[in-house]
Amino acid sequence: MSKFKSLPLQGKISIIYIFANLLVLIVNVLLLVGINSMSHEMDMVYQDNLHLNEMVLALEDVQDSMTDYLNAKTSDSLENYYRSEQNYRDMIQELNDEVTGLSFSRMERNIKNMSENYLETVSQTVEAKRGRNVEKYRIRYENATQLYEYINTYIGSLNNEQFMHNSENYNKLSEAFRFFETVSVIVICVVMLANVSIIIRLAGEIISPLKKLSGLADEVAKGNFDIELLEVQSQDEIGVVTGAFNQMVISIRRYIERIRESMEVERALKEKELLMETHLKDAQLKYLQAQINPHFLFNTLNAGAQLAMMEGADRTYEYVQNMAEFFRYNVKKGDETVTIRDEIELVDNYIYILNVRFSGDIHYEKEIDESLLNVYMPSMMLQPIVENCVNHGIREMGGDGKIWLSVYRIDDTACISVRDNGKGVSKETIQKILSGTYRDEELAAGSNGIGMDNVIARLKLFTGTDDVISIISEGKDLGTEVILYLQIKEREEEHV
Amino acid sequence: MKDKKQKNSSIIWILLSTILLIIITAITGISLFRVYMGNFTEVEDVKSYDKYYVMITEDRKSSFWQSVYAGAYEAGLSENTYVDMLGDNLTSDYSREDLMNIAISSEVDGIIVAADESEQMSALIDEAAIKGIPVVTLVGDNTHSNRCSFVGVGGYNVGTEYGQQVLQIIKESEAKPKTKVSVLVNANALDSGQNIICSGIQDTLDRAKEEGKEIEMTLVSVDNTNAFSVEESIRDIFMEEDIPDIIICLNELNTTCVYQAVVDYNKVGEVSILGYYDSETIIKAIDRNVIYATVSIDTKQMGEFCVNALSEYHELGYTSQYFTADIELIKKANVHKYLEGGEDNE
Repeated sequence: MSKFKSLPLQGKISIIYIFANLLVLIVNVLLLVGINSMSHEMDMVYQDNLHLNEMVLALEDVQDSMTDYLNAKTSDSLENYYRSEQNYRDMIQELNDEVTGLSFSRMERNIKNMSENYLETVSQTVEAKRGRNVEKYRIRYENATQLYEYINTYIGSLNNEQFMHNSENYNKLSEAFRFFETVSVIVICVVMLANVSIIIRLAGEIISPLKKLSGLADEVAKGNFDIELLEVQSQDEIGVVTGAFNQMVISIRRYIERIRESMEVERALKEKELLMETHLKDAQLKYLQAQINPHFLFNTLNAGAQLAMMEGADRTYEYVQNMAEFFRYNVKKGDETVTIRDEIELVDNYIYILNVRFSGDIHYEKEIDESLLNVYMPSMMLQPIVENCVNHGIREMGGDGKIWLSVYRIDDTACISVRDNGKGVSKETIQKILSGTYRDEELAAGSNGIGMDNVIARLKLFTGTDDVISIISEGKDLGTEVILYLQIKEREEEHV
Repeated sequence: MKDKKQKNSSIIWILLSTILLIIITAITGISLFRVYMGNFTEVEDVKSYDKYYVMITEDRKSSFWQSVYAGAYEAGLSENTYVDMLGDNLTSDYSREDLMNIAISSEVDGIIVAADESEQMSALIDEAAIKGIPVVTLVGDNTHSNRCSFVGVGGYNVGTEYGQQVLQIIKESEAKPKTKVSVLVNANALDSGQNIICSGIQDTLDRAKEEGKEIEMTLVSVDNTNAFSVEESIRDIFMEEDIPDIIICLNELNTTCVYQAVVDYNKVGEVSILGYYDSETIIKAIDRNVIYATVSIDTKQMGEFCVNALSEYHELGYTSQYFTADIELIKKANVHKYLEGGEDNE
């Protein structure tokens, strides 16, 4: 069976076809043999009659040649006589000489004995003729002729009886023939039915995987890839197609999975971009709400700076210049990615302005790893943090307030730390700030309106991670430290 | 995997069983046919016999001869001898002489012949004897030949019996002053058997005449030389004016013909028939009072005697010269016995 399974489709179909035909052939040969033997029997039926007819002819030959010889005494006729006599003698030797219950055999016996007597008489007649014994051969001739007639009658009667008997046999034979016909028809029908059932069975066996395959293909065509894969049962073409189909389904599944993943990533990226934009817009909007047109202010301040320089008021000039720088930064870099350097400069400007405002109450110290100055970060990050330190930490401390700004590196991360020695923040507040639920109701007069929640959200969007900021406060009046973590990208390091 | 294996084995099973079915069908068909053929190709009686006797008679189909033949046949079987009624299945209807010739040249082991006293028959019997074939004459004898034995009925006794019956009839009727009795004899006067019967009748009647009864007995010759001539000759008797009162028949065929003629010519009651042999027709005729009486011969015994005589001759080289079969008279009084038993004889 396994051999059969491993055959190609053509081979299988051929084998089934050959097998079915072979069966039919065998049965037909058997039937033919039967018919042959029957027709042989039928041929034999009248064989006896034919034989008897031959005997009659042979007997006639003997009688005729004898008569001929008696008439003309030619050597030809004598020769004929000897030949026909021998011929007839051979024939009667085959006759049965037993006495049985069968009338045929008794008649045969009588014919045989009479024929022997007849031949004897005939030879005596011929002998007498040779001896020219006229009286003798005439009598013997008459005797022989009488015997000849008896034998003829006997053979005729036997022939007749045998014919009747044989006709009976013939009838029986032809009856048997009809019977045989019926049997043959039944046998052929049975064989045909068996054949058909075998063919149906085997064909079904071959076709069934194809059917399953087509059913599955239909499923796949409808878009359902969650199908159970077919087992490859045979090594024929169907097996090959089944294997290929399985492979195809698996491949399609894998491609779909990949496409889905990449779409997921793309979607996430888009979302991030959109969020970033939204937050920035929000920050800018708040900034614009809080400030007058920075261009106008910036130009105005520039004009003021020039005026102060012309008047020789250096400190005023410096102050106005810082102010102008501060606002220009807002105008220029408001929606860009900037370097840490830019941000620190902005903080410097901002501290200067504040120190002028609050007459140098804020002590500001920087400790910076210069190699990190070119690391990129979102704009408007540090200034709002520093503003928070001033507003909530050290404003009420008079001249004792201090702010430490440090930029250092931990592994691949650039850390920007802003620390004050102000009144500190409670743990609950830190939690609220980090989760973005904290709302500072009273915006300080000097604030540019950008809150910590905005800073944190933008930073998260920028880095793509959640772990971007930590706020540390040891307790009341023990100060606060805000640390930003920026991933250093290789590209940025090259710049360094 | 298990399923697959099961499936495979089921397919193999189906294949094998189908092939088996086909083979069984073919074998069954062939053997059925063989049995059918064998039924009629086998031959019935192939038993072979030691000896072969033939019986030669005239009028082979008559129940008298058939009955004799049956007796001989059965007696033959017990001695492993086959007795044939010669000429039975020949296409030509040969005379007894021809059949004798055939039997002699066929070299049979014994001949039973219903002979007559003709010289030709004597010559044939002698020829057979020369060739070592014993011949038994049956019913009709050929005294001048070398036949080894004769089987018949006591002719004179039969004649006496007929005579007694004639007297009985005369006594019963008592009407006519003169009674005419006709004895139908075969034209072939060489039949010694019937002559003896006739003389038996004659003697009995002569004694009655002495008692003063006037009885005229004539022998009416019936031509039996040609086929069908018997029936015509008998009809001739009834065409004449002087129809006999009593007709005595000396063989079965004559009895049947006379009986039919009496019925046809409406002479029942006027003509009394004394018949010969007890065929079914004759027995029925007695029952109907058409035939007055008939002589029944033990035909089976006759057949047996013939075969026994031949066998004895083969064994010992000689045998008894005469065998006489038993006879019995059947009349209205005892016919019932034959009516019932008659069917057994058939």
